[in-house]
Amino acid sequence: MDLSNTDTTKTKTKAPQQITIDGQSLSFTPGETIMQVAERAGISKRIAHFCYHPSLSIAGTCRMCAVEVEKVAKLMTSCSTPATNGMVVYTNSEKVKASRNGVMEFLLANHPLDCPVCDQAGECSLQEYNYEYGPSTSRFGDSEEKRVFENATTLKLSPLITLNMNRCIHCERCVRFCAEITETHELLMVNRGHHKELTLADPSKGLTSDYQGCLADVCPVGALTFNDFRFKKRVWFLKQHPSICDGCSRGCNIEVHSEDDIVYRYTPRFNQEINKHWMCDEGRLSYHRGHDKNRIVAPYFEGHECEWHTLLADFTKSLKSSKSALVVFTTDATSEEVATLTSLLPQLHKGGPINFRYISSTPDENPNENQDENQDQLLRRKDKTPNRQGVASKLSPISEADFQSFNDLVIIFKGSTSKLPRLAFSSSKHLYLWGVFLLEDLENIRASNPNIRGVLPGVHTLEKSGSYTNCDGITQTFTAAIRPPKLCVPVERILSKILTTVTAEGEAK
Amino acid sequence: MKKVFTEAAANSKDYQALTEVLTHKTPEAVITEVKKSNLRGRGGAGFPTGVKWSFMPNNEVAPVKYLVCNADEGEPGTFKDRFIINQMPHKLIEGMIISGYAIGAKVGYIYIRGEFRKEAEFLQTAINKAYSDGWLGKNILGKNFTFDLFLYRGAGAYICGEETALLNSLEGKRGEPRLKPPYPAQVGAFSKPSCVNNVETLANIPWIMLHGGEAFAKLGTEKSGGTRLYSMSGHLQHPGIYEFSPTLTLREAIQEAGGVRGGKKLKAVIPGGASAPMLRADEIDVCIDFDSLASVGSMAGSGGIIVMDETTCIVEAALVLLKFYAHESCGQCSQCREGSPWLSRIFQRIENGQGKLADLELIEDLCKNMAMQTICAFSDAVTGPALSSIHKFKEEFIQHIESGACPLKNHQAKRV
Repeated sequence: MDLSNTDTTKTKTKAPQQITIDGQSLSFTPGETIMQVAERAGISKRIAHFCYHPSLSIAGTCRMCAVEVEKVAKLMTSCSTPATNGMVVYTNSEKVKASRNGVMEFLLANHPLDCPVCDQAGECSLQEYNYEYGPSTSRFGDSEEKRVFENATTLKLSPLITLNMNRCIHCERCVRFCAEITETHELLMVNRGHHKELTLADPSKGLTSDYQGCLADVCPVGALTFNDFRFKKRVWFLKQHPSICDGCSRGCNIEVHSEDDIVYRYTPRFNQEINKHWMCDEGRLSYHRGHDKNRIVAPYFEGHECEWHTLLADFTKSLKSSKSALVVFTTDATSEEVATLTSLLPQLHKGGPINFRYISSTPDENPNENQDENQDQLLRRKDKTPNRQGVASKLSPISEADFQSFNDLVIIFKGSTSKLPRLAFSSSKHLYLWGVFLLEDLENIRASNPNIRGVLPGVHTLEKSGSYTNCDGITQTFTAAIRPPKLCVPVERILSKILTTVTAEGEAK
Repeated sequence: MKKVFTEAAANSKDYQALTEVLTHKTPEAVITEVKKSNLRGRGGAGFPTGVKWSFMPNNEVAPVKYLVCNADEGEPGTFKDRFIINQMPHKLIEGMIISGYAIGAKVGYIYIRGEFRKEAEFLQTAINKAYSDGWLGKNILGKNFTFDLFLYRGAGAYICGEETALLNSLEGKRGEPRLKPPYPAQVGAFSKPSCVNNVETLANIPWIMLHGGEAFAKLGTEKSGGTRLYSMSGHLQHPGIYEFSPTLTLREAIQEAGGVRGGKKLKAVIPGGASAPMLRADEIDVCIDFDSLASVGSMAGSGGIIVMDETTCIVEAALVLLKFYAHESCGQCSQCREGSPWLSRIFQRIENGQGKLADLELIEDLCKNMAMQTICAFSDAVTGPALSSIHKFKEEFIQHIESGACPLKNHQAKRV
């Protein structure tokens, strides 16, 4: 055994292992499949597939990814065939095309041909591959009745997921997702052959995992759809923008799908280090918070909406005249906002030094719990803000005593839509809220501090550029996916406005 | 001429070979003897048994290994394993103990098809007897060899006769074939190296041990040793189990079974279980061994010879088989799941007189897209009766289509 091992190492060092895909010579590490080599080379788009998913185990059942391998009579499924040295692969030969055409014909035989009313249309693998490889007409015959699963057209598997079994192509990605990723084993196939049907393991419970949205993601067709998005928008109208989920300290990579500055959904964006292909439902649904009707979207001064210049004039005056000042950041502020404010605000403040602190989110139910730890085995974190590490690396946390000792000027800066932490301050003369606040936030603050002087409406994650440092210390930048409401402006614009006013005043004097 | 099972049935000296092996032979010697015997798997694929055994990793690499007996005899037209279980269960048990000894397995499973309820009870009784007689369990014959045997009943799926589907089913999972590689010899039952052998294959082992591999090899052809049990069914004078040397021709085999029933003319023969492409009456002067039948485009398969006389409607006969396949496809692979019922529908409409000439082309096309494209050989098997029937009896299909009815319906076609 030992001898043979040294032999392989020798050959490995002598000549790198090579595989040729469509004439392109590629190196590989033993154990990689044809599909994996193609993926690494960025040419996996050439290999059509349904059941293969890079983050799930190999099923090899859809047979769509079959490719021609020289000197092998049978077509080989690229998802399951390991690359070997000297292997020559063709992904688009006549034989491969004929096989794909065959698979498409079989899959479409019983699949409803009603793409116009299917919510998956536009992002459906079956539809896309059919344009490329499939037959243009059906030989199944009009007189033949298609397979119809009883009561299965719109079966609610949970409040979040709808199953239309008639559209299922039996790739079983969802079954493997539940078994391998969430390990909840909630879905399984029953019956055999063309009666094979996706079923809940426990119909009385329905789906209960916190990652149900991923089921709709992994489903290549319109069988499993996410109720929150279902029939809300045709996907071809949506603009996709890469971003970071600010729902917790994990910082899952996402794509924001929007039209006319209205976000319709988040989908996970692949990042091997952070979230792979997944994201939790809590994060997925968190885009709704950005469109909260109760968000304060206009400048607010002494109990009323006002013009920006009125508010800024007062704010500048307070900054200048106050003896002491405290600025408290919530941990959903970007690192750039913290850096900008900590460097520029002191220039406007004529009193003593400004004290910059941060306050981390504290769950209401357990005020003493302040740790940021895993909430489950997969992605979710207990800290529901995206940038604790980034903010904490620049500032120190605020204590209750700090709150008590500052009673002149207090500015609360809230960077995004996470829940407002409990603020334990005594009355301060001038309290300004800066950033993203809801009406109920104001009411809550007013309960302990009636002197809210002004609110400077800011922008949340989707409306600005910046960076967050996640729970593992990975810093990720993002840019604005949508435009903010008209009167909500980013920090730098407010500051530049203040600075120009101050400079103008100085020059006038 | 000697015949393995005919002799075994007459000779009730069970466990004589086992005693011989445990006292005089090393496991390696057993494997060598089986290799010499040219014994090929009797389940259908005809893979050399000795070679299969030699794929099993040694005891140092894999201390836990399993021997699995495939008693999921589901191939339509095949009933020889049931015969062995009913007539000589101890030959099977003895064969398994010797095989387990040879490959280093301490545990054996017999996966018996769910429909064999009585056979399962009978076999369990035999296993219990073997335990009480000291042939199974710890330190058999006082030697340092332990072998336990468990009977596991399937739930009634044809596909569980495929070895990897069988292993999944044995593990309590859905009976769906696995991707290969890894092969069962590397990752088999419960993720341990496993060897899956057919009932008849294993029941041959005691005879080989008693008489030697060469004697067994001489009973067969050059490449396939031993006599074989053939399940003769259909329109025969005397259907039943026959033990033939594979050097016999199909015509001779049919004559042995009394010829076609009622003096009728022979129309078609399926020579190796339902999956084997059918042969016309003029094609039966071929030996019934693996290689000869393969050379005429059919297969010896499981040795189930189905004979059809002139009253048989070939469309209906193929339809019956295709309905079976549509019902039994496991549903994993796209082609097989969707293709099998589709084919059966087309045959149904032709049989009903509603077919079109274009249907024949469609059948060819669908079969082309199904064969050699899936995880297991099931979809290849589906194309067997479909293609062979339209290739060899095209006129009959055209007659159905053109006349708009089954021309043989009035002749009281008999179901196979």
